[in-house]
Amino acid sequence: MPVLCSSCSEKRAVLKRPKTGHSLCKACFFWAFEEEVHRTIVAAKLFRPGETVGIAASGGKDSTVLAHVMKLLNERHGYGLELMLISVDEGITGYRDDSLETVKRNQQQYELPLKIVSYEELYGWTMDAIVKQVGLKNNCTFCGVFRRQALDRGAIMLKVDKICTGHNADDVAETVLMNILRGDIARLRRCTAISTASEGDGVVPRCKPLKYAYEKEIVLYAYFKKLDYFSTECIYSPNAYRGYARTFLKDLESIRPSSIMDIIHSGENLSVREGVKMPVQGTCSRCGYISSQALCKSCVLLEGLNRGLPKLGIGKHHRLHEKILSQQPLTEQEERKLKSVDF
Amino acid sequence: MCQVEEEYHEQLERVDTPSASKKCVKCKEELAAVVIRAGDAYCRKCFRESFIHKFRAMLGKTRVIFPGEKGVSQNAHKKLRFFPGIVYIDEGGALGQCKEMRQKTTSELCDMFRSTGFPFYILPLEQVLDLPGSVLTPSPLSDQPGSAYKAAVDLFLQRGDSSSDGKAEEQECVSLPAVQESHTWLLQQLIGSAQTLTAKQDLLNTLRQHLLVHTARTRGYSKLMQGDSCTRLAVKLLTSISLGRGAQLAQDTGFSDCRYGDVTVVRPMREYSAKEIAYYNHMFKVPSVVIPNLDTKMPDKASIQRLTQSFVTKLQADFHSTVNTIYRSVWTEVQHHCTAKTFNLISGLVSCSNIFKYLEIKQN
Amino acid sequence: MAAPVAVHLEFGGGAELLFDGVKEHHVTLPSQSEPWDMKQLLVWIQRNLLKERPELFVQGDTVRPGILVLINDADWELMGELDYQLLDQDNIVFISTLHGG
Repeated sequence: MPVLCSSCSEKRAVLKRPKTGHSLCKACFFWAFEEEVHRTIVAAKLFRPGETVGIAASGGKDSTVLAHVMKLLNERHGYGLELMLISVDEGITGYRDDSLETVKRNQQQYELPLKIVSYEELYGWTMDAIVKQVGLKNNCTFCGVFRRQALDRGAIMLKVDKICTGHNADDVAETVLMNILRGDIARLRRCTAISTASEGDGVVPRCKPLKYAYEKEIVLYAYFKKLDYFSTECIYSPNAYRGYARTFLKDLESIRPSSIMDIIHSGENLSVREGVKMPVQGTCSRCGYISSQALCKSCVLLEGLNRGLPKLGIGKHHRLHEKILSQQPLTEQEERKLKSVDF
Repeated sequence: MCQVEEEYHEQLERVDTPSASKKCVKCKEELAAVVIRAGDAYCRKCFRESFIHKFRAMLGKTRVIFPGEKGVSQNAHKKLRFFPGIVYIDEGGALGQCKEMRQKTTSELCDMFRSTGFPFYILPLEQVLDLPGSVLTPSPLSDQPGSAYKAAVDLFLQRGDSSSDGKAEEQECVSLPAVQESHTWLLQQLIGSAQTLTAKQDLLNTLRQHLLVHTARTRGYSKLMQGDSCTRLAVKLLTSISLGRGAQLAQDTGFSDCRYGDVTVVRPMREYSAKEIAYYNHMFKVPSVVIPNLDTKMPDKASIQRLTQSFVTKLQADFHSTVNTIYRSVWTEVQHHCTAKTFNLISGLVSCSNIFKYLEIKQN
Repeated sequence: MAAPVAVHLEFGGGAELLFDGVKEHHVTLPSQSEPWDMKQLLVWIQRNLLKERPELFVQGDTVRPGILVLINDADWELMGELDYQLLDQDNIVFISTLHGG
């Protein structure tokens, strides 16, 4: 027995919204989804007319929906933004090269300029090569640190004012849970922020227009709109611990769909002790990128890779930074410690 | 979505379980009997000592409980400087238990509590229906400056031994006053009006807390002690987050909660794991009564509270630092100096209660 | 006896990886004494189509949380979920939300 749309009461409902419990038809769902993103953008004052905005595009569902909705809203509501796609090529055969094809198709479908920045070009290392040296256990650290900087560099090359990323409500909720499980209070407070202010030279402000959009709705939006997206998990991602948080979140959602929004709300209102020590921001003395240490994380990781000491950037070896900068040799013991890699 | 702007290798690496037939890490003589955290294996004697020490250290460090005018001698070597009372809320009505069952449970509890020599109150949850609305209004907190604690200690030491025979006072016992059937029916209607088990458990917690605060107030106690272990608090914390209650997290799971003004809730067992408490109770034969709860024997996905509990338990089995990390993330030191009247509570799950839950304060 | 039911199954969003990467399946469910419902279909898929790691597709008697189900292009939550009785030529889509971003 077909259920009628609770909004227009005319057409057949195609989904039950997890956020509100409403049953909506396709047209009413599209409208509701898009206008909610619009309201998020307006309420948080994410953009100003005339700005150039880079959309971080991975070819996956979230960034594909983001690019589609941003283009649509920019036209519908006259934001006056100039939109561009920025993609990072980590150099992962069989994963990234396929998803980049999706991004290239998106570029044509949406008629937006695209810039691809590759790890190889920026750092001289592809992820495939990094994995060969560091193994599967810590490779996500490299990828994550390098990606953040790569996006910033791509943004600067394109001269964009802001970057928007496809993080959705489920991602934010999952990150809240992860930070609690890891006891990371500083990140716990930051992770629900919808946008980051400019932290300094070389770092472009970022925002998450899909922060309040459920993953379920994003997937259904892409499905009903027949958007072209790529869906394979990164072949190097072992991330077991995040897997626990994700499973828990999905289980919570199945008991009470509003849980995702409830967790974000909790994160936004966390009343934890004031005065948590935050690192003082400075710049990397090698590359000039923002860094709380003498060397930024990417430069340390890169130094480790180039010297064949992959553990240099993993764990805490701050006191070695000075030595590296002044090109003093490391002791045998230090070398031994940094060489061992667990596979 | 791949989200790797973070690292968490160090604290999350799995820890190997220590082998059996290990020596106690403290005295290095006796054979270890309990492994508290990985690597920390204690013999019976050292376990007992450290367990007791931790409790005293917790109360001393936080300075939340002031010495009362009279002392009760708890152990030969250490005096208890406050008067405890015990309160138990019988939730049998909400769980649909028959009268006979409720009476049987309460009479067991009554015997157990009587043997402690402390005053106790066993109250039916139905009483919450008669509470005045004012229970929700915080009463003004009598604010004492930091130095008051020291002054109170000095005063206590001066008077010391002369008045320390606190047992002279008659033990006050209140054991389950008669409950009207219409009240039980109303309570069941109320619980039944919550659609999901998540909501029912939430409601029950709120009702219980209100009755506890009210009881503390009307009986003249200013502290309400709850026996939550860090394991339970970690579950509570994640549950609160999942229910959207992040803003209340510090009060819900911190050492003390001053929301009610004149009655402060304290959780002195928060440095103990559920395992430590269970071992202590088992080894030193602390009497207990097992009472089923709303989610007893329910599947994992029956409610958010239940799911969270099973999630934390499983994760703890794989990563031994889980509970500690979770509860330290929101470790707040809310140190309000409140008055020296204290009150102890044994909430629903008496199964993991232990002797320390009976130690409590009552001023004069 | 209910007649055999021909249904069109589609796996997407990464769920197809558990079916050798094959996205579309035209299958005929054999005739049986009771009518086919979603619950039985899941059991049938598990026995006849799933190639690996069944726990990534089904959990208990339902789909793993995070996998969306559409019956004739509508959210199965609107159709009675596990109790929905399959009709000939029904179109069932399973989309994983758990892969990629």
